[in-house]
Amino acid sequence: MSREVAYFPGCSLKTIDRAYDVSTRLVARDLGLGLVEVEDYACCGAGELKGNGINSYYLPARNLGHLLRQGQVDVMVSCNVCYHELSRAAYAWTHQAQIGEQINDMLRAAGEPPMTQSASVRNTLDYLINHVGLEAISRRVVRPLTGLRVAPYYGCLYHRPQAMVSSVQVAGEHPEHPHFMHDVLRTLGAQVIAHPAETTCCGGKNLLSDEEIAGRLTGRILSQAKAAGAEVLSLMCPKCAGGLDALQPRAVKAVGEGARLPVVYYTQLMAIAFGHSPEASGLREMESGGLTVIQRLMRQLASAAPV
Amino acid sequence: MAKGAGIVERSLVRDADILEHENFVLDGIDVSGRWNTMLKSRVHASRDLQAWDAVRQNLVATSIDRCIQCGMCTAGCTVAHEIPDFNPRQFIYWVRTGRTEELKQQANVVWRCVGCYVCTHHCPKGVNTAEVIETIGQWLATVVPNRMDPAFHANHHAYRRQLARRGRLSLPMLQATFLRSLGRQHELWSPEMQKTVLKMLWDGRAFKALAMGRPRRWRKNRRHVAAQA
Ligand code: SF4
Ligand code: SF4
Repeated sequence: MSREVAYFPGCSLKTIDRAYDVSTRLVARDLGLGLVEVEDYACCGAGELKGNGINSYYLPARNLGHLLRQGQVDVMVSCNVCYHELSRAAYAWTHQAQIGEQINDMLRAAGEPPMTQSASVRNTLDYLINHVGLEAISRRVVRPLTGLRVAPYYGCLYHRPQAMVSSVQVAGEHPEHPHFMHDVLRTLGAQVIAHPAETTCCGGKNLLSDEEIAGRLTGRILSQAKAAGAEVLSLMCPKCAGGLDALQPRAVKAVGEGARLPVVYYTQLMAIAFGHSPEASGLREMESGGLTVIQRLMRQLASAAPV
Repeated sequence: MAKGAGIVERSLVRDADILEHENFVLDGIDVSGRWNTMLKSRVHASRDLQAWDAVRQNLVATSIDRCIQCGMCTAGCTVAHEIPDFNPRQFIYWVRTGRTEELKQQANVVWRCVGCYVCTHHCPKGVNTAEVIETIGQWLATVVPNRMDPAFHANHHAYRRQLARRGRLSLPMLQATFLRSLGRQHELWSPEMQKTVLKMLWDGRAFKALAMGRPRRWRKNRRHVAAQA
């Protein structure tokens, strides 16, 4: 049985972070979700326009206007930055009447569909756990990730700030120690490695402009996860991937070899556990050795399998 | 011992404001030892409220007026752990007490906020500290742009220009614009980047990033995006 839900990939997933998009779609299809893309999308604002007063709501609200015009109210979002921006706009529109009116005035002036009701912005992780359910996920697992030591990493914008009442908060996610990703990884059969940097910031906003601090922040996350015993870090945000995966050499330069750790998206781990190949899961597009870790795991699983 | 070593939150006090004497006698009493460290008067006579006006009038930062200076924001702040001079509580204090000169002197520190919302999350008074700090940073970018690192401007303008012109972000193009405006375009071919660039050319992602297009009728949207760009 297939259920339809709107999906907002955003700029990163449409281009260089295709691996996250591809694996999200694979997993959704396996779980019986038909994803309908929000048409004629614009960037969510990417956290870059926050100081611009009312204009900071324009881009995310424009996307929500298009969502509602398509006749949908729920939208599933994989990127944490998009998720944060869309949730922020939905919250302001719903709970701050004056802001809501100004948002719609801007949208009408530009000839775009206004927001006609409160949109429900769902993080993919929350949607999979709370709408599809861990039981349904566990039924799809054909290749349990037995013995894989995975460190979950949430980043900042998944669960902060609390006052914004985003979908993960409504779903009862813990505000200080989120665990939905832990739950999914455990369901996949992986060994979950807890570590102190699960929700510390990667400094992605200033990844280009403030190389030194960004290197230290990503270095801290990677080295703490590795020191706790992880062999791979599981993420959920393409902005984090920029610093933790593609620019991992900077983290290594900042804090040393302890920061060398393969990084993959949790959706890729789901796709592998659901039986897809590493290539189909987009692992070739990861920069820090994710493919090697998964190939090694698959060899181990094959040699341990009963003949 | 380092100057003013016994002062709590020593990093908040400038060297020039600390007075230390040897054999200090005050009203006939010898107060040498730990009692001879003094701070210069903190009486503040020239309040300059333009920063406060600008910030509290920005719709995303009106909550600045609820701040009680408890310091919870600074205690958890991601960047404060890396840069001792980065202190959101103190930035708010300077804005609200009209210490605009101090604030301007720290312009090259304020913009380093990474927007992680730990401060907002911890604030007991419901101040949206993250957006307040962002607003203060942007105000500084308009009044003392020259005091900020060129990399800040390059990043800021690269994002804004692309968002206004195209309505979407192509990260490879953004990075190229950023490096070009700093005269660092050769870094695109640094060993660190080369591997990624070649791979993206080979697997088609570079093409996707170039051909991502614009939203329909984008022109009419522009002024709402880049009101200040
Ligand atoms: S936590 Fe809130 S009230 Fe306390 S100093 Fe920071 S902004 Fe002010
Ligand atoms: S949003 Fe900025 S000021 Fe607030 S905790 Fe993060 S880095 Fe510090």
